Amino acid sequence: MTRQIDLSRRGFIGAGAALAAGTSLRWSPAYAQEPQVLNYLSWPGNADPYLVAEFEAENNCKVAIKEYVGGDQMLAVINQSPPGSFDVVLADAEYLHLLKEADFIEELNPADYPLQDFWPEFQKFPLHWFDDKLYAVMTDFGYLGLSYNTEVYKPEEVSSYAAMWEPKATGKVGFFDWYLPSMGCISLSNGNRPPFDIDEAAFEALKEKLFSLKPQTAGFYTIADIFSSLRNGQAHLIPGIGEWVTLGLRLDGAPVDTILPAEGGIQWTESMSIVKGTPKADLARKFIQYTTSPRGQVLMATKADNKKSIPSIPGWKLLAETMPDQAEVLRLQLDKPNVMDDWKAGRVALRQLPQQQAIEDWNDVWSEMKSL
Amino acid sequence: MPGMAPIRRKALPALLGVPVVLWQLAFFVLPLVFLVVITFWKVRNFKLEPAFDLGNWEKVLTSTPFQRALVYTGEVALIATILSMLLAFPAAHAIALRLSDKARARWIAFLIIPVFSSYILKVYAWQVVLSPGGVLNVAFGALGLPQADLLGGMLSLHIGLLTLTLPVVTLILTFALMGMDKTLIEAARNLGASRAQVLLQVTLPAIKPGLGLAAVTAFLMAFGDYASPVFLTGSNPPTLSILIVDTVKSGSQWPRASVIGVSMLAILALAFVLVQLATAKREVQR
Repeated sequence: MTRQIDLSRRGFIGAGAALAAGTSLRWSPAYAQEPQVLNYLSWPGNADPYLVAEFEAENNCKVAIKEYVGGDQMLAVINQSPPGSFDVVLADAEYLHLLKEADFIEELNPADYPLQDFWPEFQKFPLHWFDDKLYAVMTDFGYLGLSYNTEVYKPEEVSSYAAMWEPKATGKVGFFDWYLPSMGCISLSNGNRPPFDIDEAAFEALKEKLFSLKPQTAGFYTIADIFSSLRNGQAHLIPGIGEWVTLGLRLDGAPVDTILPAEGGIQWTESMSIVKGTPKADLARKFIQYTTSPRGQVLMATKADNKKSIPSIPGWKLLAETMPDQAEVLRLQLDKPNVMDDWKAGRVALRQLPQQQAIEDWNDVWSEMKSL
Repeated sequence: MPGMAPIRRKALPALLGVPVVLWQLAFFVLPLVFLVVITFWKVRNFKLEPAFDLGNWEKVLTSTPFQRALVYTGEVALIATILSMLLAFPAAHAIALRLSDKARARWIAFLIIPVFSSYILKVYAWQVVLSPGGVLNVAFGALGLPQADLLGGMLSLHIGLLTLTLPVVTLILTFALMGMDKTLIEAARNLGASRAQVLLQVTLPAIKPGLGLAAVTAFLMAFGDYASPVFLTGSNPPTLSILIVDTVKSGSQWPRASVIGVSMLAILALAFVLVQLATAKREVQR
């Protein structure tokens, strides 16, 4: 018996090799090599026929999506897959520098993409450029603030994140179970601008402020449960989410809205990059061009289960012409108060990864908050 | 040739058992060994790298969230075990000892059906029933009763866990009671024992191994459950199963998640052994 169990260091190192070769996050390379398949690593739902059917028909190809939830999982998938597994990756802007540092994405030629059509604020979006070279093209964005139940709160009652600490909110503050946007909003409420670039003293203060919310907490929710807890009244306030959740619910009749409190909100930004080493760079480029074209942008903004803002001005115009009601609810109207007003007023901070602490430190604080 | 027959007769049952042994080796023992091995590995750039590093054990065992989750999960599983035993026993007693054969078969079927329906679906259904805008609160409102905060606390958590454990525990106790020698009860009654005396001094001791098995099963199911704590309490606070998922989500920390998994298995094995010992002692006394 003892002869069969190798307790040496080498035994431990060797014993799991087969498992390492078969981890579930790997993408099937056999499928990846098909010439007519564009392999797309993206948040869920982004290969919905609503978004990609026209592109597939025009280019006689198929968009195959490998879905991930959250930047950490995206990095895990791309790190664990053989080179050539993916052609295009859609990522949140704050993860791009990690993709760039690990040499996963190609430099792009700015002339290939309609950047001059974007709002001037987004033409040279800081998180997409490294050493004045372009690595990603913005496809959509949105704001995160404080989402609330409109039957319980009037807008003026939630004009500050302080509403979460009021007795009225005891046991009714829900959280999206992701440290980054949740702690970002608490950091804003502590007066930190930018919210993710804070020194140790401010980080300690953030920790205390976060922990003081525990008695108010209803729960820490997965994406699906954010929707259901807002809808069924389990949570009345949720910081760190936005219209990507509440707009769809509201159109569906739920009494919910999102506000950017006085302390400010956070912008999330999605962009597309070409994965290094792809043999299908041409098709990948066409896919990014299609997504940032006016038509692609309109589809991106109006997908039923995930409404977004878009950076392309011709996209806004086409939306106003073809779906005026959608342009109104999405606040994407050039001649009316619109989503760019918040940005221009300086009320929105970029979502970034922690600048002065390790990601793990923030994650540990989040885990502790949950377990309190 | 005639000499071969007894040997073959002996070997056949053992041979028939081989597939089960192989199955257990392939799908329980080997994965378990992998799980233990991985606890010593490292994660670099979101990739598992073979190593012999005790740091994962140190990091997890000394972390406050792990210790809190350990205590909390133990408490929850213990309460769930006690609740399901208390609720299941009277039902099992009635089914096993009071019903006609025909009625008993019907009730056992009733208990088996829920075991084969989706537990996740039932947990989601409880969410719909218990939520502030849910079925119960709508009914309360119609009756002029005040609204109740039912979802997201111990009540909803244990309702969910009982959905999982109650049918199984009731079945185990029913079969244990059906298997006992009923003449013992008659004899005790004839000798003048009260109902309470029969229960405490005859019935319960007679099915002690069954009680142990039922309790361990309830504890095991509640201790490892993921769905009820996530969907009925919003991970507030997290159990060990939730902590495993969180650990993998943040930075692909499979090794640390494996440490939690191995710790949970060790605790369950300990619970199993303790209950085995408790029921074995009884055998010796008899």
